[in-house]
Amino acid sequence: MNTNAKKREKAGAFLRQSSVPIMFVIICAVCIPISGLSPSYLINEIVTRMGRNVFLILSLLIPIMAGMGLNFGMTLGAMAGEIALILVSDWQIVGIPGMVLAMIFSVPFSILLGWFCGKILNMARGREMITSYIISYFINGVYQLVVLYLMGSVIPIRHGSIKLPRGYGIRNTVSLLNMRQKLDNLIPLTIAGVKIPVMTFIVIGVLCLVIIWFRRTKLGQDMRAVGQDMQVARDAGINVERTRIISIIISTVLAGIGMVIYLQNMGNIATYSSHSQIGMFCIAALLVGGASVDKASIGNVFLGVILFHTMFIVAPKAGAAITGDSMIGEYFRVFVSYAVITVALVMYETQKRKRKSLEGQKLAQAQKGEQNKGQKEENEA
Amino acid sequence: MKKKRSFIFRLIALALIAALAAWMFLIGRGHTVYFDNKSLTAPDGTAYEPWYQIEILKDGQRVARLKAEDRGMVEVMGQKLTVEVKLAKSKDGKMQGGTIGLELPYNKDGVIYNLPAMLAGAQEEVYMSEFIPTPVEEETEEVVVTDEFVLPSEE
Repeated sequence: MNTNAKKREKAGAFLRQSSVPIMFVIICAVCIPISGLSPSYLINEIVTRMGRNVFLILSLLIPIMAGMGLNFGMTLGAMAGEIALILVSDWQIVGIPGMVLAMIFSVPFSILLGWFCGKILNMARGREMITSYIISYFINGVYQLVVLYLMGSVIPIRHGSIKLPRGYGIRNTVSLLNMRQKLDNLIPLTIAGVKIPVMTFIVIGVLCLVIIWFRRTKLGQDMRAVGQDMQVARDAGINVERTRIISIIISTVLAGIGMVIYLQNMGNIATYSSHSQIGMFCIAALLVGGASVDKASIGNVFLGVILFHTMFIVAPKAGAAITGDSMIGEYFRVFVSYAVITVALVMYETQKRKRKSLEGQKLAQAQKGEQNKGQKEENEA
Repeated sequence: MKKKRSFIFRLIALALIAALAAWMFLIGRGHTVYFDNKSLTAPDGTAYEPWYQIEILKDGQRVARLKAEDRGMVEVMGQKLTVEVKLAKSKDGKMQGGTIGLELPYNKDGVIYNLPAMLAGAQEEVYMSEFIPTPVEEETEEVVVTDEFVLPSEE
């Protein structure tokens, strides 16, 4: 009887924890047949999107480990990656060398922005997510100032295909045709009609191994300690502020590199909008994979990308088949992206309050017990 | 001692990354190479006449087939280009062939090679020139969209 109750409790906990992925599995299972898309097309699309997005989403894991929640500030890294790509395109460095150069050039920008973001987040402890979200808007303004006014006038941009006709500022779209899918196609492999971006997956695999290794290092352990309890970590001699800044810097640098991989797959940069939604969609994908604000794993990343992007692919077609208007599907998927983040944040906040109230109750009980004990001793005396 | 060692390691890592970036700059420079099969008169008055047909092959694949007064192009990464050239003087003429190795100038995006002059043994400044694109018409100003609530064009 006792074991049955334990099993039931375990199953209940599993269902509670996996409610979001289960919901998405159901949505996908309903939408796939309605959409009428062929399995090979669907698998091809999912594999392509995995190559495109996984690196970016992996960049979110380290700040979660350090207890800083979902890093909406990854947008900063994405902007750094875009600036590096614009410069490399203007210098006419093409192919894989162009990509590698863009990655290298994005790093100093990412470090600077990550340091800035980390510094501010240390001042806004406990409100990291909303703060990083607003920082991303602020830096977007700075990015627009640089790209729209400084590039071409202060920062030399030579090519007319990149520069606006007025002589300064960058066009709405910058072509990356000479870099397009170079990494994906470096080791060509097609299995049963499905194109596998082998090299991109190797790069992702290496990053996964680095993350696993990093968790075991001194810095990784420090981050976990900081994530669990900042006060205890500080008492143990860990420089909490520094550790938190490093976690944000690492996340921003990885986001910058991830953005280069993302854009090489796309083949163009939407100069003023590529980065703005990337944070939102990456975070949504991670949450769909079963992650929470304080716990995320590499498995969550992969499951999230598969489920979220399956929904992304099939929703417009399914929407068109059900309502006759594909825009309904478009609205649905945007609605789901925001909804899943909202639900995750509400759940996190509710659990936090519940935990606090439980702790409070326990403390009150303990105090009451001590009071009773004292009274008893007094009475006895 | 430990601090000094880690500082040296960081310095070495930084130097390696800088060296990698420099190497990428060198090997990744893209050029558009234009091949002309056009008549050309050199500054000294020497006239070079076009061939009936020129075929250009890169890595065994044909990238251009040029009749008289035609222009072909090929995208190149790096500063070296080796192409195989097949030529015919006239319609019934026998095809001749050969391999040409070209050193591309780093600072030029587009380079034009006049093949008749080049094959006739003219000086480099005669057969090679920079391609400077000229705008066909006045471009209208582009409206910049900075609205962050636009969906990314993923599809």
